Amino acid sequence: MIPVQRGRGGWVNSRATLAKAMAIVGVGLMLMVAGCSSKKPAPVVDTNPNPNQLNEHGSGSSTTNDDWINGTIGKGGPLSDIHFGYNDYTIQEQDGSVLKSNASWLQAHPQTRVQVEGYCDERGSEEYNIALGAKRAQAGKDYLATLGISDSRMSTISYGKELPLCQDHDESCWAQNRRDHFMVSK
Amino acid sequence: MKRIVHAFALICAIVFALSPDPAAAQGAGPLRMKIQGTSGELSPIAVSGLKNLGGDDDHRIGNAFVTTLRRDLELSGYFRIVDPHAYIEDPQSSGFELGQFNFADWKSINADFLVKGSVGAGGPGVKLTAYFYDVASQRRMMGKNYSGDAGDVPRMARRFADAILEAYSGQKGPFDSKLAFVSTGGGRFKEVYTQSIDGQDLFKLTDNPTINLFPSFDRSTDHMLYLSYKSMVPALYLANLKARSEMKITSPHGRVIGGTLSPDGEQIVAAIERDGITNLYLLTRDGAEIRPLTDTQGINVSPAISPDGERMAFTSDRSGTPQIYVMSLAGGAPKRVTFSGDYNTTPAFSPKGDKLAYQSRESGRFDIWTIPIGGGEPTQVTDGNGSNEYPSWSPDGRYLAFSSTRAHNSRIYIMMVSNRKIISALTEGNGNDSCPAWSGWLGE
Repeated sequence: MIPVQRGRGGWVNSRATLAKAMAIVGVGLMLMVAGCSSKKPAPVVDTNPNPNQLNEHGSGSSTTNDDWINGTIGKGGPLSDIHFGYNDYTIQEQDGSVLKSNASWLQAHPQTRVQVEGYCDERGSEEYNIALGAKRAQAGKDYLATLGISDSRMSTISYGKELPLCQDHDESCWAQNRRDHFMVSK
Repeated sequence: MKRIVHAFALICAIVFALSPDPAAAQGAGPLRMKIQGTSGELSPIAVSGLKNLGGDDDHRIGNAFVTTLRRDLELSGYFRIVDPHAYIEDPQSSGFELGQFNFADWKSINADFLVKGSVGAGGPGVKLTAYFYDVASQRRMMGKNYSGDAGDVPRMARRFADAILEAYSGQKGPFDSKLAFVSTGGGRFKEVYTQSIDGQDLFKLTDNPTINLFPSFDRSTDHMLYLSYKSMVPALYLANLKARSEMKITSPHGRVIGGTLSPDGEQIVAAIERDGITNLYLLTRDGAEIRPLTDTQGINVSPAISPDGERMAFTSDRSGTPQIYVMSLAGGAPKRVTFSGDYNTTPAFSPKGDKLAYQSRESGRFDIWTIPIGGGEPTQVTDGNGSNEYPSWSPDGRYLAFSSTRAHNSRIYIMMVSNRKIISALTEGNGNDSCPAWSGWLGE
């Protein structure tokens, strides 16, 4: 598998062989000589048909491209979110009951898996917030483990400050965005 | 066939990128934005049209040079362009060499400096000559000859702008370079783009419906490292910009959530998270581990590598708040650099390697500061207008690119480090722009 770039932008992991890719470029060059200045290159969406196959070391995600495209990441599902203080990743006392209720649901549905997703508010740097979101996701996962949920059913991912639930720039919004979401999958 | 069409489109895109045609490609021309500053301090310069010596009857080639040069000189923070409508002299009927034109025509419109030149096209390509004149002393300060394709003309203008800054200030300018940045482009996803500093040749490097962050170049600008969620989990990708291929960087230690490419392009410092703990590792460009660099139970992120490749600066929460540290890439104990403020992050080494620029939080928003790499007194660079984040130095060390929300949407701005009044936006559009990375000089 070699990555080639198609269209105006976008890196695509193509299944084309090297020879095939070279042939494509060759044909493209010939077509270009024939006068490509009238064609406007269109952006190509970089789609990934089997996202989980690309996740090495068992660190996969149950999120799919459709979740990204439809904007459903971090929303909905049978479990409730928990929330965090600013630049903090400790489980707050009032969220103990939320986590207990989430654990009960998971125990009643033993066939399911849960991805604990950590999120941050917009303040702070992108990279630090991805690390902070990872701390929050881990804190949620660790708490569920103490309530008897098997480690093998759980995974974590951090989206940092990249996917805010609430778009405004005030504390009520920030408080909603500092959270763990629990995404259930079969 | 679909693949063939895509490959065909790509090659067209390259041709477009090398041949910007302001008349035909709408939106591809230089940005026209107000310079925020006190124009009284700027030297008035006239940039005359180029004399057509044949092959540029419609002045398209000459205009591409003049338009790019004017924009770069405006961005430099040294010059104000004298309104071209005021120019008395017709460049086609007058000469461009010293003695072939009348300095009085330029003195009378209050130009302190003047650029004149010629262009000849046809046969093997474009030949272009440009001179930088001091109007008051009626002196030629600098002149250059360029040859190449018509598509190379904007680059000739950038190199001439860099040479003007050298003649004027003693230090070469930074405009023959690239800016990489992240933009939402008005949508929900974040993609990596590149463009020239003057806003031409906008190129969308990534195109996947996820989040792409943290572009960093090597010194040659042949490679770019960036983080993407395109495989559904974050990972680094090392793109070969010439071969247009890329490699995914993963680690057996955990999930890669950030990183930077060394100036020589041979090494990567990656932030790798496992069980909520994020540490930094030195990797080869292929992702093979050389050595762990940090080992705490908290957060270690935002690595930046010094220009000599010997040291790194990074952000760690080991003191309880995010602060900046510097350590040798050979290993050893990190030295804390920042002590003021409770949130200091995204360090960037100056090209000389003597200073760090970084973002520091105050009242819920950030400003850009600089500090000597050994620690000491920090200097505030941005002025408290909006949240100012993610500084990146120009290759000459004179400017910083950074993102700012000063005009509501986040945009990439340029600022002269020694004069905080000189600020211009480098990006436009309806999206939010972040994570600027200013490349090195593009070379000959």
